[in-house]
Amino acid sequence: MSRRRTSRQRGSRLGALPLTSMIDVVFLLLIFFLVTADFAKQEHKLPSALQTEGGGVRSSDLQPQIIQISLLNNQPVFTIGQVRCNDRASLEGVLKQLPRDAGVAIKAEPDVPIQSIATALQAARNAGFTRRSYVPGEVGQ
Amino acid sequence: MISVDLTPMIDVVFQLIIFFMFTSQFGELRRTEIDLPREQGDEEAQQASAAMIIDLTGEGVYFFESKATSLLEIEQVAQLGVTNQTDSTPFDVLIRPDRNAPAVYLDRLLLRLSSVGVQRWKIATIDTGGGS
Repeated sequence: MSRRRTSRQRGSRLGALPLTSMIDVVFLLLIFFLVTADFAKQEHKLPSALQTEGGGVRSSDLQPQIIQISLLNNQPVFTIGQVRCNDRASLEGVLKQLPRDAGVAIKAEPDVPIQSIATALQAARNAGFTRRSYVPGEVGQ
Repeated sequence: MISVDLTPMIDVVFQLIIFFMFTSQFGELRRTEIDLPREQGDEEAQQASAAMIIDLTGEGVYFFESKATSLLEIEQVAQLGVTNQTDSTPFDVLIRPDRNAPAVYLDRLLLRLSSVGVQRWKIATIDTGGGS
């Protein structure tokens, strides 16, 4: 009888742990993570090698495919040789047909928005080119 | 009978919460608000963190560590980074450009970086689901 009472008392004491404070803390943590998760947008990265016109040592004798970006009626146009593409999907389609060993070099006219450079880099990456480089144009300061 | 005293633990947890709330706020303030190019990016490139992060606004202003910086200052910092780089910790530059900024601003920056020996760079993008 007395043993039964003791175990009951022990159970009631353990059950009387102050959970209110713990719940307060958990709620605060929940609110904190909700708020910060809303702030931080995940950024991604597109890596590229950096080359200059006529400079730098090439690791390969192969000439890279060159994507020239220009603007036509305020719309970006991607030119590879004689082929012109107006969007990423068509550029990707063209790049997939080209040999990847030589890599791809991207050049842009000065007034082209940077979004188009990112688009070309993304298309080259999606087409399976591991060697991607950007060639900045010679510009005045 | 063992009684668990939760009060000190809760005190510590509160202190930690306050600390992380403050530091995360400061972290956000240090990041310049920029309309990044909308692309998926490269998953393989997500792991490595950049040694130098440069923000480029649509008006052609360069920000380094949340301060408007001249190309000359950027060049000097990059020069130092290239000098101190090792095989295990290569000097890595991340550029966070405004997507509508003309390429000429990026070209000016990259030519300066190239002149001090920077060979690789990354462009920051944001994945909005559709791309452009």
